[in-house]
Amino acid sequence: MAELTSFSFSAGDSLLHRLDARFKIIFIIFLTLVSLNVYFRGLGFLTFILLGAVFYARLPFDSGLKELRYFLILLFLIFLARVLSTHGVPIIDLKYFSVSMEGIYSGILVCWRLALIVILGFAFISTTPPSAIKAAVQWFLKPVPFIPEKKVAIMMGLILRFVPVILDQARETAEAQKARAVENRKNPVYRLTKFGFPLINRTFQRADDLVVAMEARAFTENRRDPELIAHKQDWMALIAVGCLCVSVLLLSS
Amino acid sequence: MKNSNQLRMIVFASLLAALMAAGAYLAIPIGPVPIVLQNMFVFLAGLLLGSRWGLASVGVYLLTGACGLPVFAGGLGGIGRIVGPTGGYLIGYLPAVFIVGYISGKSTTRIGRDVLAMICGTIVLYACGVTWLKTLTGMTWSKTLIVGMYPFLVGDALKIAAAAVIARALRPIIGKGLRQ
Repeated sequence: MAELTSFSFSAGDSLLHRLDARFKIIFIIFLTLVSLNVYFRGLGFLTFILLGAVFYARLPFDSGLKELRYFLILLFLIFLARVLSTHGVPIIDLKYFSVSMEGIYSGILVCWRLALIVILGFAFISTTPPSAIKAAVQWFLKPVPFIPEKKVAIMMGLILRFVPVILDQARETAEAQKARAVENRKNPVYRLTKFGFPLINRTFQRADDLVVAMEARAFTENRRDPELIAHKQDWMALIAVGCLCVSVLLLSS
Repeated sequence: MKNSNQLRMIVFASLLAALMAAGAYLAIPIGPVPIVLQNMFVFLAGLLLGSRWGLASVGVYLLTGACGLPVFAGGLGGIGRIVGPTGGYLIGYLPAVFIVGYISGKSTTRIGRDVLAMICGTIVLYACGVTWLKTLTGMTWSKTLIVGMYPFLVGDALKIAAAAVIARALRPIIGKGLRQ
């Protein structure tokens, strides 16, 4: 089976792994909002605590870095764009562009915030199994009107199951095309359609089989919801994160 | 049977959302810039499923990514991607798919209407994406357009043409499943 990415849940028994997924989502939202509103001192403090948590939970940080390298390139481009487009007192003045202290300052600030948010996401995915994330999303959507939370949860589960099937099918289709020397064709629309049509047609047929299989097994939406229990440590963590947010905000104001 | 139809739409909408996720990794090497298939699948979701289910498909895809499951390009999901520089394009998929589905309507044969729908969708998509990219990076409008729009336009035209052909060929097959 084709894998989308090596970057995913890794089993463990640290505090981060044991926390309730619902609480972890709340923490991420809090910390993201805080990190968008603080400056260097606050960001440094948050990064210190976050990296401490990542190393404490023994997350696979090196494989995480490997996945992050494209993101780092993107960050560097944003940094350059910020540096070159912000006006201020120039330090280096070349003929066409100048580099100012203000530009470097705002570039580092934006990149640091984005990197922090991505590390938050990394810590969340690698400590939470997909089924727990699905259950937490279902729980959060329950009070929202007009959104059928059970259907959404079913669809999320189906997406994760379909992706490896599609990637397998795509590899097969690409090999079949190579065998027929389609890559020698100059017309790009011809190549796109000859790749897209069999891929979608076959995956749709598989999906159709799946519908029949689900109906044959008397599929119904009214299943028992996954159980989510908040323990004492979850509430303790909530208080701790709340204190952290307030203190970081006070520190940087 | 209404119930059976609904289950079929749920599965098809999930399938197209999964195609969007996989589409970020499927590229056809043509010319210097490889053509990434993700937005072709977004357009196909609008054309094949209609505005309502297309919107559901994209919405669940974004939600899955925002929760941190690895469905966005580059493998790394999380709310950071939606807040990040390319997030405007992701959010832009929502209005884009709705407009594509709405304009193309229930037409089965009119290919011109499909193409018009997808052109409108592309305009909405870039309006969201480029505005967000400009806000985040602080570049001027002309620079943002050079980085975030012009290089992709040729590829988009090819994808619209291909999506129109694929949708016309696929509609009878999917429609047959739905009418049963």
